[in-house]
Amino acid sequence: MDIRLLTNADLPLIQHANLENLPENYFLKYYLYHSLSWPQLSFVAVDVSRPKKGPYDYPKIVGYVLAKMEEEPSDGVPHGHITSLSVMRTHRKLGIAEKLMRQSQLAMVETYQAKYVSLHVRVSNVAARHLYENTLGFTNEKVESKYYADKEDAFSMRLNLDEIKKQIEAGEKNGDAEEDKEHEDEGDAVGEVGKDPGQTAEGKQIKIALGKRPALGVGDLVEKDDSK
Amino acid sequence: MPQPLSAKDQTNFRNVVRAYEDKQYKRGLKTADSILKKNPKHGDTMAMKALILNGQLKTDEAFALAKEALSADFKSHICWHVYGLLYRAVTNFEEAIKAYKMALRFEPESAQIQRDLAILQIQMRDYQGYIQSRQAMLQARPGFRQSWTALAIAHHLAGDLAEAENVLSTYEGTLKSKPSRYDLEHSEAVMYKNSLIAEQGDYQRALEHLEEAAKQNLDRLAVMECRAEYLAKLGRREEAASAYRALIERNPDLQIYYEKLVEVLGISEDNTSERKAVYDEYASKFPRCDTAKRVPLDFLQGSEFRAAAEAYLTLMLNKGVPSTFANLKHLYADEFKKNTLRELAEEYVKSEGIDKESKDKGEAAGLFYLAQHYNYYMSRDLDKSLDYVEKTIEKDPKSVDYHMTKARIFKHQGDLSKASEMMDHARKLDLKDRYINSKAAKYQLRNNENERALKTVGLFTRQDTVGGPMADLLDMQCVWFLTEDGEAYARQGNVAMALKRFQAVATIFDTWQEDQFDFHSFSLRKGQIRAYIDMMRWEDHIRDHPFYSRAALAAIQVYLKLADKPSSNGVNGNGEDEDEALAKKKAAKKAKKEQQRMEREAAEKQAKQDPNKGTKTDDEPKKKDEDPMGLKLAATEDPLGEAIKLLEPLLEVCPKSIEAQHAGFEVYIRRQKHLLALRCLKAAANIDAESPRVHEQTIALRHALNGATDVPDKVAQVLKEEFNLIPASANLQETNDHFLAQHKDSPEHVLAAIRAKKILGEDRKSTDKQVIEMLDLPKTRYNDAISALQTLQQWRSPEEDAFKKAAQAKFPGATRFS
Ligand SMILES: CC(C)(COP(=O)(O)OP(=O)(O)OC[C@H]1O[C@@H](n2cnc3c(N)ncnc32)[C@H](O)[C@@H]1OP(=O)(O)O)[C@@H](O)C(=O)NCCC(=O)NCCS
Repeated sequence: MDIRLLTNADLPLIQHANLENLPENYFLKYYLYHSLSWPQLSFVAVDVSRPKKGPYDYPKIVGYVLAKMEEEPSDGVPHGHITSLSVMRTHRKLGIAEKLMRQSQLAMVETYQAKYVSLHVRVSNVAARHLYENTLGFTNEKVESKYYADKEDAFSMRLNLDEIKKQIEAGEKNGDAEEDKEHEDEGDAVGEVGKDPGQTAEGKQIKIALGKRPALGVGDLVEKDDSK
Repeated sequence: MPQPLSAKDQTNFRNVVRAYEDKQYKRGLKTADSILKKNPKHGDTMAMKALILNGQLKTDEAFALAKEALSADFKSHICWHVYGLLYRAVTNFEEAIKAYKMALRFEPESAQIQRDLAILQIQMRDYQGYIQSRQAMLQARPGFRQSWTALAIAHHLAGDLAEAENVLSTYEGTLKSKPSRYDLEHSEAVMYKNSLIAEQGDYQRALEHLEEAAKQNLDRLAVMECRAEYLAKLGRREEAASAYRALIERNPDLQIYYEKLVEVLGISEDNTSERKAVYDEYASKFPRCDTAKRVPLDFLQGSEFRAAAEAYLTLMLNKGVPSTFANLKHLYADEFKKNTLRELAEEYVKSEGIDKESKDKGEAAGLFYLAQHYNYYMSRDLDKSLDYVEKTIEKDPKSVDYHMTKARIFKHQGDLSKASEMMDHARKLDLKDRYINSKAAKYQLRNNENERALKTVGLFTRQDTVGGPMADLLDMQCVWFLTEDGEAYARQGNVAMALKRFQAVATIFDTWQEDQFDFHSFSLRKGQIRAYIDMMRWEDHIRDHPFYSRAALAAIQVYLKLADKPSSNGVNGNGEDEDEALAKKKAAKKAKKEQQRMEREAAEKQAKQDPNKGTKTDDEPKKKDEDPMGLKLAATEDPLGEAIKLLEPLLEVCPKSIEAQHAGFEVYIRRQKHLLALRCLKAAANIDAESPRVHEQTIALRHALNGATDVPDKVAQVLKEEFNLIPASANLQETNDHFLAQHKDSPEHVLAAIRAKKILGEDRKSTDKQVIEMLDLPKTRYNDAISALQTLQQWRSPEEDAFKKAAQAKFPGATRFS
């Protein structure tokens, strides 16, 4: 199994893995939104030993982590967020999820100076909770009641990334400690996918209308400043 | 000449624009009408009204009005811009580009129109046009980094790497101070420039640039990977080795790092012991790393392989890793390794020191490995496999994995009904896991249980989606289910629903292609340029994905069947048509009921909604599916035309797919497009000259040409020159008989030859009989029998039942023949 950075060509099979494994699903544009906004943060596990099926074979994705930076952190602290993580049942308990998570966490600190990473997990999800709590050291912040579409509660968890930061700093030989102002994330939302299409601000699942053609958006006749 | 508006109506006009933007369509229309009452020929107002109509999905009206607007005010950039937007909305980008260009002629300073034009150009891959637009935009706004980056991207995508780099350097030259270390846009721009230098093949300069400009780059992984690559390319082996070592330390689970390391260390292919030593070092350093332990099995041979395989297998089975077999099965191409692994597993389960009590470790894991071993097509013995899996189930009667494998064994036996039940049993052992739920649904579909499968997946789809589970699967672009569902319908002869599902997959790909649109500007704002380039390159060949080809090929088969149908006006009427008519009637009735149910649900849902909420979208209509049961699709007058729409993109991006070429031939020959058919045939012959289909289609084309009277001279000339797979004078019957004699033991070839006989006009009774006799060939396997059955079905043979009976005798328990 290879653990590597996601590429855009992986997205259909990442979406497929998500649909096979989890009830929280997203259309492809939302995956694109991740891979084009934070291309350093999402990783896949690929079955490299599978024999190729014909000349147009795509690498078989057996696990993925889809991650992002919180666009407008309510606490003002830059932090990452795990949008989705899953591993195909045929490849579980091999350590894949752990490795995917660790790679993502490292990049969150390196590229975006994330201070912590957050995620939601179903209260009843034993495997995932073991991974987050025991293996990776996340702690439970609060219970979000009826967070999921089927009304199950979620634990809202987070992991402080100071440890990783220290490791990086120790590794940097010529510790050029030039501290500049925090960078700002200036990106705008992309059409309807700027927000998690599965969730409202409160984290509740909502339904998104997906007309075949994008309604000609606001602003198509309005001057939009490319520099913003 | 445009009509001047009164001051009041000018205000009204601005209100129309605002209403449109806020999607307050009703209000917008009312205001527009009030302007038009006094100024009936006011082009801009008509154009805005057209835009609003379009927002209400009244596309035809919108276009008509937009045209009127243009004839009222030909020189208005607003009218042209709107005209372009309407075309954009129906994804006719070529026409939209033309309209934008006209708009720009009348309003050259409009940054908005320029931007809309640029986006369309890049969406359409009009690189030269995009360069022009970006140059104009840069001139208008030279102070913004994005303007420069965008122009560089334009040159890059057009293939001019040096110019792209040049543009980036020019911008850098204007920077007065060094941007902050945490300036993400700058950080990425540096890496983008570096990738341009490397892409030009100048690794020396790329390395220098990297070491100078990217020392503290925010994308650490990219810097490390690039550096290692450049050092290796430059032959600086020692440094390259330590660069790859650093990468392995960072992520020990990426095979290519090891391979590169071995390469730069100068270890030769056949020096297996030194190669193994490299892996061993990391295997002991990172005990949780699988790659370092497993990869040596790929290159070790003989006793070295045996020893390494034993160590690996023992470790994995002791731990009870369920994916052990999946990790090793690629080695089965090597006969020795295949047998060795089986022996090792057999020895393992008999050995003393292992855990005999555990449900999933030790003996249980070994038995599970052997069950999978005998279930795999390269080492298949289904009775043994079943034996082993029963033993694992004794160890853990509640194991999902064991029952899943048992279901798979039944599937391989051809008993799809038992397989479906067994997988459903496995599902019930872990109701919270969607993976096993998906598998159960898949097996139900293989067993043609469409409704049950939808209910099964419905346990995990969102309960609140209007239209039920199917609507959710469509929204979430669940390609696998749509494809399997369509294939199940196709098997049952439900053309309408089959086409409905396959077309849904095609539509998903249209959506994925359109999804790029917003990112042309978004990525510039975000500044993640390499990721954007990566997306563009992927989108260029998006339909070569097996997701597309599988659904498209299946749909084409259905359309071919429709095209071959004896005309339904009773000319060729026979008993089957009555059956079909009845089936159609039944389907129509069911469709109507289903549609009514969906409408009722939608109404209920709306009724439940809080009337105080969501007023904003009230005006925004949602497009309703006018053909939820696919009846209109099935009623197409031009099935071959529909097939071509799916075929063309496939042939364009998958020229090396023999299935695509075969399908292309079948479509074109029925259209009497002999040249196109020939092109597909030649391509197929190039891929695999021995393919039985190539023989069959060669005969078919020659036969068609022999009988054709109206081939234009030019075409005939080309055919004469190009079609040399078989001489024009050949006696086709003899050729075919010769082929048959040559391949008389191969079921696939025999079937192709029988099909060719049918094409050459041999009596139906005779060909039907030969197909049935094909079952008696010693080499005929389940899949061959399925192909034979499909052939009879395609011919609408009265012998279908007789064939099934004979096949059932040969493959007892195989559901497809019952
Ligand atoms: C949760 C999930 C991603 C874990 O993937 P994985 O690759 O099997 O996990 P790992 O092999 O990295 O295991 C990490 C740890 O979790 C433990 N673990 C894994 N599955 C477990 C299970 N079913 N029960 C208890 N512990 C489990 C492992 O033993 C390991 O623990 P350790 O560090 O103490 O040795 C996987 O089970 C999955 O895809 N589930 C369905 C989708 C899902 O629930 N995603 C999470 C949504 S928040």
